[in-house]
Amino acid sequence: MAGLLKRPEALAGGAVLLALALIALAAPLLSPGDPLAIAGKPLILPLTDAAHPLGTDRLGRDLLAGLIHGARTSMTVGLLVAVVALSAGMIVGTVAGLAGGWTEAVLMRLVEAFQIVPGFLLALALVSVAGPSLAGVVLAIALGAWTGPARLARSRVLALRESEFVAAARVLGLHPAEIAFRQIMPLALPPVLSLTAIIVAGAILTEAALSFLGLGNPNVVTWGGMIAEGRNQLRSAAWLSIIPGLALVITVVSTYLVGEALTDSLTERRPR
Amino acid sequence: MTLVLSRRGLFLSTAALAALQFLPRSASAQSGGRITVAADSEPAQLNPAIAASNGVFYISSKVIEPLAEASYDEAGLRPLLATGWEGAEDGLSITFKLREGVTWHDGTPFTSADVAFSALQVWKPLQNIGRTLFANLTAVETPDAHTAVFRFSAPTPLQLIAKALPVVSSVLPKHIYDGSEIAENPANRALIGTGPFVWGDYKPGEYYLLKRNPAYWQPDLPLAEELVFRVLPDRAAAAGSLEAGEVQLAAFSSVPLVELDRIGKVPGLTVITKGYEALTYQLVVEINHRNAHLANLKVRQAIAHAIDRQFVLDTIFLGYAAKATGPVPANDPTFYTPDVTTYAFDPEKAKALLDEAGFPADASGKRFALRLLPAPYFNETRQFGDYLRQALAAVGIDATIVANDSAAHQKAVYTDHDFDLAVAPPVFRADPAISTTNLVRSGIPAGVNFSNQGGYVNPELDSLIDTALTTLDPAARVALYHRFQQLVTADLPLINVVDWSFTSVASDKLGNIANNPRWAVSNWADLTLGT
Repeated sequence: MAGLLKRPEALAGGAVLLALALIALAAPLLSPGDPLAIAGKPLILPLTDAAHPLGTDRLGRDLLAGLIHGARTSMTVGLLVAVVALSAGMIVGTVAGLAGGWTEAVLMRLVEAFQIVPGFLLALALVSVAGPSLAGVVLAIALGAWTGPARLARSRVLALRESEFVAAARVLGLHPAEIAFRQIMPLALPPVLSLTAIIVAGAILTEAALSFLGLGNPNVVTWGGMIAEGRNQLRSAAWLSIIPGLALVITVVSTYLVGEALTDSLTERRPR
Repeated sequence: MTLVLSRRGLFLSTAALAALQFLPRSASAQSGGRITVAADSEPAQLNPAIAASNGVFYISSKVIEPLAEASYDEAGLRPLLATGWEGAEDGLSITFKLREGVTWHDGTPFTSADVAFSALQVWKPLQNIGRTLFANLTAVETPDAHTAVFRFSAPTPLQLIAKALPVVSSVLPKHIYDGSEIAENPANRALIGTGPFVWGDYKPGEYYLLKRNPAYWQPDLPLAEELVFRVLPDRAAAAGSLEAGEVQLAAFSSVPLVELDRIGKVPGLTVITKGYEALTYQLVVEINHRNAHLANLKVRQAIAHAIDRQFVLDTIFLGYAAKATGPVPANDPTFYTPDVTTYAFDPEKAKALLDEAGFPADASGKRFALRLLPAPYFNETRQFGDYLRQALAAVGIDATIVANDSAAHQKAVYTDHDFDLAVAPPVFRADPAISTTNLVRSGIPAGVNFSNQGGYVNPELDSLIDTALTTLDPAARVALYHRFQQLVTADLPLINVVDWSFTSVASDKLGNIANNPRWAVSNWADLTLGT
């Protein structure tokens, strides 16, 4: 963790993420009411009206309100996907690494099967079938994101299972499940955790892309949905797409910066 | 949401742009050449004799022809497969003289048997509009190969049937359809007709290809060698493709209204508002009367009062529309009456009505929840859906938007009745009996698109619709349809918001465009591409 603080770009990224997290948490306070409500005249230019600092869209919906509440959607999806993908990956990877034999072969072929299908296509297909609920979107994106953690966890477990403390635990007669999840998994966790940021950033992008394609939930503001909405007027009111686009870029870049630093510190790799 | 992707076609559509470049290029050098136009939807089936809707006509009208087409001249009609028609004094029969020397695309001659088969086996039992229009049709006699006599069990106004011909009378080949399950016939996808273009190919998510019919009955027509309907569900892409010269025409306002000002100034492109006179669209809120809340008239009145028509007109339609008072648009010269119940924008009154109806607001201001299904066919219907959700929220109705592609939307609303409110764009076609009374008449079986599927039953309205259908005296018909408008606006089986028409953006190279009042859905035999 100390290494994290020494890196100015990670600090900047972390600060942006923290701010975004606070905004997402405080969205109902910062911008009360429905962000999809028609709040003013349509197509007010940004920075021209104090009541709508970032302007309004085609129907008069406030862009700032959309941005604030959109952060909520993006953050929620990003974090939930990370939790689901990491848990699934850890469990599958640990079981595969420890069990070996047929179990390992079957599990790892399953991982590879998911790995060869592009994650975005998988998400598209699932959301098309299951409908655009939050749970559906999270599951759909996580389905393409759990393979990395699973492979990493397995490789760590393979290294750890030959250690003396594992042999000692076996001699003591611990249940294999206990060895797997209480003895080995905590040690295999750090490198896998370093994938968090990459998964979060990827999930935010995928969610935005799904919304952009009209597969998001139309009753919730999302940045991707805002960009898509603005795209009709790209030539006449470009800010409608550019502002949420910038928000997306800043969020994803910040997440990656923090992720880089995390990887370095958690895997005790020398900073490049 | 700007981009409506057919969910099934989603994977294909990304490949579409690339694949289009591999279409054969051979025809482009010949006279007329290949004309590429933007298509924004892919109808589930393309048979215009079953589904009389503009989305279907846009493509199928080039292959399958009606008996007559709308025209700008005095008569209002131009003969196509029929050369003349005459009604009996008593209104019980209409005699059509059919064109000679016409052949189907497979070489079989076109005869009165085809017309009799289409009328009795398709238009009357299967077609969304023909079902009511031809309800009293009992027989079609064919004294010779080029005469068809329609016999009706009750007096049927010739004026009504004639006005409806361009829409309801698409003729199908009897020898292809006879004895088969008509709705399942493969020719509903690979069309066979008498029109200027023959069916070429369809790649879902990519294009429809139609080719010149060398044996077309009008000499020297059609002028174009090939028509390609390039599927561009993304409106922004339509504008870009026009500017890049990849498509020569985007009809049905597929270029967003906000872009018209700018694109009209692009050299080589013209914005055209002509050619849609017989296609007035009505923005309508469809209501599922099976819903206990919506079955209450006060709730429907409240919804009508919650809608700010001026806002819809100014913001969503940018002025390219007119406020609606009822089920007949104000631009109709014959049937419109302003003497109806109107609902001014008044959220307070809406709230009071909802209170009266027994649905008070809870602590969070909400009264009840509804599902709202905006039709995905137009930018405007989707935007109005977004607007309506907010307008309803303002009076305490919590509407959740359910977004579907066209096929799923039609199934949900018109077959499964899986909706509470829907936003629909029905068409007013010169006479209320053609496709407007269908929207409120009871007894229409599930699965008939663009008809009353909201479970609304009003015996008084039903009997009025039936009476008007058999009234021969024009003045008496007008009076009945005035009453029709009054009943509909008083009881609100659906809510009319605005009426609008369309614009096309076309390349200056295209010749003979917008030359009849339903041009976009006419046969385009004379359409040509200059250099």
